[in-house]
Amino acid sequence: MSSYFGSRSESRTEILSALGRFGALVVLIIVGSIVSEVFLSSRNISNIITNASVMIIMGVGQTIAIITNGPDLSAGSIMTICAVVAAILVKTVGIFFPVAILIALALGIFLGFINGYMIAKVGIPSFISTYGLQWAVFGFAYVILRGYVIYDFPANFRFIGNGYLFSVIPMPIVIMVIVVITGIFLLNKTTVGRCLFAVGSNSVSANMSGVDTSKTVFQAFIISGALSALAGVVLIARINAVQADIGRNYLLPVIATVFMGGTSPTGGQGTIIGTVIGAIIITIVQNIMNLLAVPSVWRDAIIGLLIIVTVLVDIIVKKRISNIKIATV
Amino acid sequence: MRSVTRLLKKVPPVLWVVLAMVVVFSCFSKNYFTIRNLVVLLQQGSVLLVISAAATFVIISGGLDLSLGAIMTLSGVIAALAVNAGLPVPLVFLAGALTGSLCGALNGTLIAVADMKPFIATLGVQGVLYGFSLALTNKEGIHVSNETFIFFGDLVNRFIPMAAISCAIIFIAAIFVQNHTLLGRYTFAIGGNAEGAKLSGVNTTFWKWLVYVFAGFLAGLGGVVLVARLEVADPIVGTQWEFEAIAATILGGTSMRIGKGDVQGTIIGVMLITIVRSGLNVIRVPSVWQPAIIGTTIIISIVFQVWISSKKEGV
Repeated sequence: MSSYFGSRSESRTEILSALGRFGALVVLIIVGSIVSEVFLSSRNISNIITNASVMIIMGVGQTIAIITNGPDLSAGSIMTICAVVAAILVKTVGIFFPVAILIALALGIFLGFINGYMIAKVGIPSFISTYGLQWAVFGFAYVILRGYVIYDFPANFRFIGNGYLFSVIPMPIVIMVIVVITGIFLLNKTTVGRCLFAVGSNSVSANMSGVDTSKTVFQAFIISGALSALAGVVLIARINAVQADIGRNYLLPVIATVFMGGTSPTGGQGTIIGTVIGAIIITIVQNIMNLLAVPSVWRDAIIGLLIIVTVLVDIIVKKRISNIKIATV
Repeated sequence: MRSVTRLLKKVPPVLWVVLAMVVVFSCFSKNYFTIRNLVVLLQQGSVLLVISAAATFVIISGGLDLSLGAIMTLSGVIAALAVNAGLPVPLVFLAGALTGSLCGALNGTLIAVADMKPFIATLGVQGVLYGFSLALTNKEGIHVSNETFIFFGDLVNRFIPMAAISCAIIFIAAIFVQNHTLLGRYTFAIGGNAEGAKLSGVNTTFWKWLVYVFAGFLAGLGGVVLVARLEVADPIVGTQWEFEAIAATILGGTSMRIGKGDVQGTIIGVMLITIVRSGLNVIRVPSVWQPAIIGTTIIISIVFQVWISSKKEGV
């Protein structure tokens, strides 16, 4: 159940692209194990999944935004400012950490609300409004923190980033799994999820059949804002430091993650499981780049190229299949 | 009297904001409303005007180009390398323009031929292009010192704004393309009704492709002038420029939905952004605050502009 209006050719496309993703994953794992002997070590694997967790938490929000309306290009900046605020509350002000996290989440929700307002009420396309908001938000993060780095947070706050549940499972993975399960449930089993898909595939007809489209858009971007905030908090608790551009390198990979997961750029179609696989693929690519010591200047370029190639392959596959369908009819 | 009010109603709301800001900043500093400062403003705003013209073309055609800042940056880097390799100045400009056009051709191929969504294609290309400019410069600025080259961006005798003059020439060429060529006409046609244009025999794929090539060409030339003005090619100088260019376009009254607008209107948007930026220095806002204030001002003014124009259009 990934599309609200599914059809047979669509499900065939989905099976094909799912196979493609799985193939890419297998190839990458083989490449990784050839490139370096530490790649398949349990430590590296747990590292990959823990790193992917932050990306997945953000990716779930991004997937929901893209299914409903369009990309949330402010995700990296929301992550940054919420992380900065949480860090200051925990470290400098010394607030009890759950309160600090709640405040950070509230800030994420607020920024998501602004995105929703610009998109649903004013009518600015999401790729312009969210892209624009990010510069203002990065600006404020810089105002708060200047060029400084805040590091060494209290142990209880750090637990959510580097602690272990039952002293086995890393906390970021626990949080990620909760987010993923909640997301899947929300998308597939609730009215809200139905509305998200309906608005994404055809906003006009959704509106006519009684869906409150603007409310749905608000919901999508609020979810994305909140999850970006959560990802930011988990990230800084894990790496134990924050600076004013921490989220800058997350936007491209997260967008890549979502499209790699097979979510349609035109909206109305996508799965969270796909995003999870996409995030693992991207994290493995980054991991291999680390192991190979690829110069940092090329990393964004490689991720950018991956986005283009993924979407391109997707388009070509879909065209092929629709041609075959026409030929058989 | 009635004709005066009618004329006043025609003035875009953004222009009132611009005027109000000039008045406010003039009150704060007696050096603000001077010819000297005007010349400096022209120098500072001119390259943005060229990039914004590129953005306007793309947006009129119903598209979007998030890679313009990166194209500008990479073209500037190539130009700086060309200057330092001892190439004659006309060839340097040609190299920059060619780099820009090639990047634009890549965007155009992905969007017009392969049918990718503009924001995805140009976001991906943005990442790739910054990779190239960072790698080519080794993450550091490349200084240029060739006198003839620098002349084209210099403030000659601290009075003649050559960057503004160079950019004005490019900008006038862009207006000419918009008004008197097939490319200009089809840009509006595709933005207004791509399906209709296609049915009436326009090769929409080709012209859409050419719009991105032309935008890249403009951004490339802008990048060369910027390097001549700053005397250095910085590998990440274009960060955020694409957004300011899009913002200037929208503030200038170009609609994102119906293929309406013009390159000339974009001047007002560029004026607003440039005046806010310079004004913050005039009223001595600390530099840490400036990105936040500029970002907020731009986003709020876009919201107002879109809000007002959608009320007018009755959408």
